Parts: sequence; structure tokens; C-alpha cells
Amino acid sequence: MEVLLAAVAVVLAALVARSAAGRRHLQRRVHELVQRSEVGGDRHGSSPQASITDLERVTSAVADERDQARAGAARLAQALAAIPQGVVVWDEDGREVLRNPAAVAYASGRHADALVEQAVSELLGAAMEGRPQRRTLDLYGPPRRVLLISAFPLDDGEEGAGAIVVVDDVSERGRLEAMRRDFVANISHELKTPVGAMGLLADTIASEDDPAVTRRLAHRMTGEALRVGRIIDDLLDLTRIEAEEAPRREPVGVRTVVDEAVERVRPLSGARHILVDTDEVRPGHWVRADERQLVSAVANLLENACKYSDEGSTVEVRSRADATSVEISVHDHGIGIPGRDLERVFERFYRVDRARSRGTGGTGLGLAIVRHVATNHQGQVSVASREGEGSVFTLRLPNGVGSVDDEAPRVGEAAGPVATGR
Amino acid sequence: MAVEIRKGFHQSLDEVGHDIVRLAGMVTEALGKATEALLAGDLRVAEEIITNDDVIDALTLDIEERCYHLLTLQQPMATDLRQVVTALRLTAEIERSGDLVANIMKANRRMYGREVDPVLRGLIKRLGEQVHRSFQLAIDAYVERDESLAAAIDDIDDDIDELHVQYIQAIFERHGEGRAALQLSVQLAMVGRFYERIGDHAVNIGERVVYMVTGWLPEHSGVARQAVRKADGDAGSSPLGGG
Repeated sequence: MEVLLAAVAVVLAALVARSAAGRRHLQRRVHELVQRSEVGGDRHGSSPQASITDLERVTSAVADERDQARAGAARLAQALAAIPQGVVVWDEDGREVLRNPAAVAYASGRHADALVEQAVSELLGAAMEGRPQRRTLDLYGPPRRVLLISAFPLDDGEEGAGAIVVVDDVSERGRLEAMRRDFVANISHELKTPVGAMGLLADTIASEDDPAVTRRLAHRMTGEALRVGRIIDDLLDLTRIEAEEAPRREPVGVRTVVDEAVERVRPLSGARHILVDTDEVRPGHWVRADERQLVSAVANLLENACKYSDEGSTVEVRSRADATSVEISVHDHGIGIPGRDLERVFERFYRVDRARSRGTGGTGLGLAIVRHVATNHQGQVSVASREGEGSVFTLRLPNGVGSVDDEAPRVGEAAGPVATGR
Repeated sequence: MAVEIRKGFHQSLDEVGHDIVRLAGMVTEALGKATEALLAGDLRVAEEIITNDDVIDALTLDIEERCYHLLTLQQPMATDLRQVVTALRLTAEIERSGDLVANIMKANRRMYGREVDPVLRGLIKRLGEQVHRSFQLAIDAYVERDESLAAAIDDIDDDIDELHVQYIQAIFERHGEGRAALQLSVQLAMVGRFYERIGDHAVNIGERVVYMVTGWLPEHSGVARQAVRKADGDAGSSPLGGG
């Protein structure tokens, strides 16, 4: 019996000793975990309760950090979604881990987009090997665009952590640059030609004795001087119109404007036997405008139409109105404008065909003036053209009194200013 | 195990599909730029397009090779088989169109410095635009597996044919009036022909897409008529039939 009791006591003692040792072991592991989590806790939990408290503290700290990290990642993703450039990121194994909305269109894209995606993965591949690269893609589209694609390797200090590519649409940048460059080149050229001629003529006069020849040369000098004068006048005109952001506006009858403009180009249209047909201009259309500016715009359109039409052909002026705007369009049956020049003809001094344009005696500023008049009136000017068939320039301005075409009640017109009796 | 192999097959097939779209992307891009370069007499773009035709040829060979692998190693049937066969046919059509675009650019080189009448320029632009549209549409049909787009391609093609006739007529007139030299006229006529041929390839692509989706080909009507004529119905089943 005693032996039995002694045996039980020994077993119990061993059990107690083991569980105490086990507890200490567990507490030590908890302590190590707490220390590894880097959220503090130097004191060694002296009891199981203390260890549990430590563990709870650590868990909630980690949960907080996780929430913050998630919020941070979401913020970054939103920021990437907001920028207009396409961004794609690969991880160190070449797997795609991020693609912002601007870049989504390229993935499994077709036509030009398929080529963008191709360039994106090629450049990312190169960047993965540590070579940052950039490439410019000139795409026909449509839409026509120039993309600058740049890829950079990402690394965490020692080894590669993937790569990032940025796709930037630089079409507008390139266009503006070309415009600025061409403007400086063109204005120099436009001014140099007549000034150079004047210099030569003056030289010749200086060594000329025959009064008849001197007179003829002087006459030509006057012509060249007038030409420079015209260019400078137009430039000043253009600067004034550009500066005058809010011109004086009053209701102006489209009919009046067109008639005045036709009158102004009569010398040119008469000389070339061109019939300017204004039957399609309605007397009931009104715009709010600076009459002088508007006449100058329409006259410029008519002048162009007459210059680039064959002798004896017809130029038509039409007007149309809806509730918000009035359109004045000038149609010619001339040589037309090549597609690549279409969007540039409104630039100052832009010439489709240099040789021909200078022969027509224009200053190269007419359409730039038209565009500025349109912009000043919250309107716009557009052009449609086919080579060999002719061009249509359309000036669209806000409707002066709200009178519209046929479907509108005639009362609308009566409510407007008193017509000039045409 | 068998499931795994099928998955591999479809993945490869998808990749082939993507590469066909890429190949076509190169050709449509070149086509659009070619018309511009032709009208602007731009030799730099011409060289670029002619050189890039080699890239198109290389990708074509690569795609073809992969199709042969798929055919021999996987022995696909029905829809799968039709997709691989269509891929092969499409690649050939697209590659040929690329060659024609390069030909237009070679003509551009030969025409360099010669002035072309505005009416002809206008017609070239319209031809170029319509052919570009129709080629894009053909690829849209392929990507979207939409056979109804093929009908739209046919409509555009009628328009292209009509433009082509008008264009050739206009060349004759200019030449007759002594306003276009013989050499230039011949080059211009060839350019028109190249455009018209690209338009035909777009129609073929459209037809192949209809075949891929429905298993039907326009030639089937002719075959059916011929079968009725022969009137000895040996109905051997084709491995391509049914879906």
C-alpha cells in the first residue's frame, strides 16, 4: 500500500514538474513571438495571463498595421488610376501585378493597341534584365497619336523586384512644338522675301540712269513695300483680335454680314469671273457679334474660296440655324486641301503649297484671323475638303436671338431686332 | 491528364489568336500610314514600311509553325480544327496584304517628285480610307467572332470596286489629255490595283471568320450545286463538318 502511495506521489510530482516546465516553454515562445513582431514588449510575461495580454496587444497592433497597409495600397491604386498615363508593373517573376485603367485598353487590344501592348511587354522584358528603355510609337490609328513608352527596372537595393512601364500620349506636345517651330520659320520667310526684293531693287536703282527704268523699278519697290505693309497690318489685326477677348457684341444680321463681305471681295471675284451665290443665306438669322470682326472673318473665307477656285466657277454661301447656334458656310469647287494639311490651315502662315500661295498675294494670316474671330465669339470654325472636289469652311457662332430654321415659329424673328429691310 | 493537354492546346490557340491580331495591327497601321506617305511623297515612311514588311513575314512564319505543331501534335477536331485552319488561312491573307502595302510604298518611290492631279489624289485618299476601314472591320469580326460584320465588309468592298473603276477612268482621262505621263499613269494604276486587292483580302478574312464561327463557306454553295449536277451522292463525312 505504501509502495503504491509512494509510486502515485512520484508520478504526480513528475507531472507537476513537467507541466511547469511546459508552461515556461510556452511563455518563452510567446515572448519570442512578441519580440519578433517588433511592436515592443521587453518584459518577460511572468504568468500565463501576462503572456496572453502580450499576444493580444501584438495581434491588434499587427491588425492596425495591416489596415494601414491596405488603405495605403488602395490610395496608391486610386492615384495610379487617376493619372492619364498608362502604367503596368511586373513582379520579379515577370508576372503582371498592376495595370491602371489607362493601360487596360492595350491588353488584348486590337489594331494599333495590339502594337502598343507588344512594345509594352518588350520594354518590360528589357527592363527586367536591368536595361531601362524608351520608345516612341507613331500610330496612325485612328485616333492618330504619338506615344512615348518608357520602362524602368525596379529593385529593392540588391536584387531585381520587377519592372514598371509608363505609356505617355505626347501627340499634343509634338503638335504644339511643330506649330511654334513652323511659325518662327514662316514669319521670317514671309518678311524676308519682300524685304530682300526691295534691297535688290534699291541696288539696281542706285546704278541706273534711265529715268523710265528707274520709275518702273520704283513702282515695283512700292509694290513690295505694300506687301510687307499688308503682312504687318494683318499681324497687328490678329494680335488685336487675340487680345480683345470680349468684343463688343450686338445682334447682327447674317445677311448683312455676308453682303458686306461679298462686297469686299468683289474686285477679286470680278477679276476671276467667280459667281458668289448667297441665295441660301436666310434674312432671319442673327448672331451676337462684333460686326466688323465678323465681316472680316467671312470676307477672309470668301477671299480664299475665290483664290483657290478655277476661273468662272461658283462659290456658295449658306446659313443654317438651330436653337443654340448659327452656321455660316462657304463652299467652293476648287482644288481642295490635302488631308494632312487640313488641321493645320488655321495656323498663322501655314501654307499648303508655298509656290502657289505666294502667287495669290495672300498674307498667310487670313484663316488664323477667322479662327480667332470664331474663338472670341465662343464659336468655332471647321473645314471639310476633298482634293479635286473643293472645300467647305463652316463658321459656327452662338445664335443671336434664338430664331431657327423652318420648323421655328416666325414669331421668333419678330422678337429679334428690326430687320434691315432686305 | 487529358484535361491538362486540352488546356495547353487552348492556351496555345489563344496565343496564336493574339499574334494574328498583332500581325493584322501591323498591316492596318502600315496601310493607314502608306496612304499618307503616298500623298505626301514621304520616302522616309516608305522605307520604314518596306523594311517592316520583314518583321511581318517573320511573325507570319512563326504563327504558321505553331499552327502546324497544334495540328500534328494535338490533332484537333470540329471547332478546334476550324480555328487552327482559319488561323493558317488568315495569316496568309494578312501577310499578302502586308506585301501589297509594301508594293504601294515601292510605287511611291518610283513616283517621287511627280505631281499628281488633285482629283486623282482625292480618289487615292478615298480608296485608302475605305480599304483601311474594311481591313479593320475584318479584324474586328475575327476578334469578336461576329459573322454579321462580314456583310458590312462586302458593302464596303462594292464601294471600293466602284472607286477603283472611277479612279482608273480618271487616270485614262488625264493621260488622254496629256496631263499625266505614261510612266506615272502606269504607277498610279498599279497603286489602285494594290488597294483593290487588299480590299479583296479583307473580304476573304471576313469569309474565313464566317467559316470559323458557322462552318459555312461561300464556296459551299458552288460545291452543293456541283454535287447536285453529279447526282451520285457519295456522302463521305468531312472531319471539318459539324461543330
